[in-house]
Amino acid sequence: MSDDSVPLALPLPRWLAGSLEVTALYRELRKPLLRYLVCLGLSGDEAQDIVQDAFLGLQRHLKTGGAEDNIRGWLFRVAHNLARNRQASYHRRFAEPLDAELEILAQQATPEQAVLEKEKFQRLLSAIRGLAGSERECLLLRAGGLRYREIADVLGMATSTVADTVERAVRKLAEKCNV
Amino acid sequence: MCDAQLKLVAWLDGEVPTDEAAAIEAHLRECETCQARIVAYKNASEGFNLCCDALFITKAKAKTLRWVPAIPVAAAAVLILSFVVFSRRLAAPPSLPEVSPVAVSTLSTVPTPVPVPSPALHKPVHRKPSRPPAPQSVQRWQPAERAVEIAIPAESIFAPGAMPEGMRIIGELRIGPDGSVRQVRFRQ
Repeated sequence: MSDDSVPLALPLPRWLAGSLEVTALYRELRKPLLRYLVCLGLSGDEAQDIVQDAFLGLQRHLKTGGAEDNIRGWLFRVAHNLARNRQASYHRRFAEPLDAELEILAQQATPEQAVLEKEKFQRLLSAIRGLAGSERECLLLRAGGLRYREIADVLGMATSTVADTVERAVRKLAEKCNV
Repeated sequence: MCDAQLKLVAWLDGEVPTDEAAAIEAHLRECETCQARIVAYKNASEGFNLCCDALFITKAKAKTLRWVPAIPVAAAAVLILSFVVFSRRLAAPPSLPEVSPVAVSTLSTVPTPVPVPSPALHKPVHRKPSRPPAPQSVQRWQPAERAVEIAIPAESIFAPGAMPEGMRIIGELRIGPDGSVRQVRFRQ
């Protein structure tokens, strides 16, 4: 996990610095954000929309002098809330966020699937399906490169709770997959 | 159960304070069980990440395929429109008087019914003046003949396999008096 959330070295005008910083962050964080949103159960198009909205929000946030520490956590939190709002609007559609997707995934051969043996892959999918919602979300954010403090910020938990949840979730996966 | 077990994942993630990390590392050097756990936790984490990647790639692929038909159809429509408009503007010299809409509506196959005045046998009834009915040819327009036919091979527009073999999409255009396109309709 890297902690390099693009502090600028040159003393640029604030609006220009903000713009450059947002561009750099967009390059760095677009894919992790998309991946997180897709794994939450959104479609590719919806994830794209939310990422765009989150970065527009970031631009405004920086222009209006918002806090510049932990921008990565800020972006994930905004994207997470936007995704949750969308899921609330279409509750039935996203009632089972990851489960339906995992079913699809289980039927499709991908290069990643080739890396893990098929049987192990199936066990892993089954184990992920068995995780609690908060455990999945913690692991998804952790897979997106967020520190425990940032995950806590996104999900509105205490950092110690995040540590316990991640520990429990990884242990569950390891035990069920028997890896 | 080892005491350090509870914090092994946090240690892997670099989330344990330095002094605590040193204690865990010392324990790991001696405890084979915890060494095996560390390997298992690493594998589980990597497996989870791979699942996320696979899901992301799967959805990205699904998105691309879903939009493939829409883009070529839109491109074909633009091509046809621009060609027809351009060819009609070239055909009509600029000095010609403006063509009336009635004259141009000869493209329509459904003729507009001409009201025939009937002899006033009864006392005329005063009715509320109403708007003249919209020409039905706009709604029921059918092309009589193809003035211009452009064939675009599917392979040049669609991705391989995106268009079923033997399928045709026919675009029909109605051109207004000023040469602009008034109506576009696609059919198979």
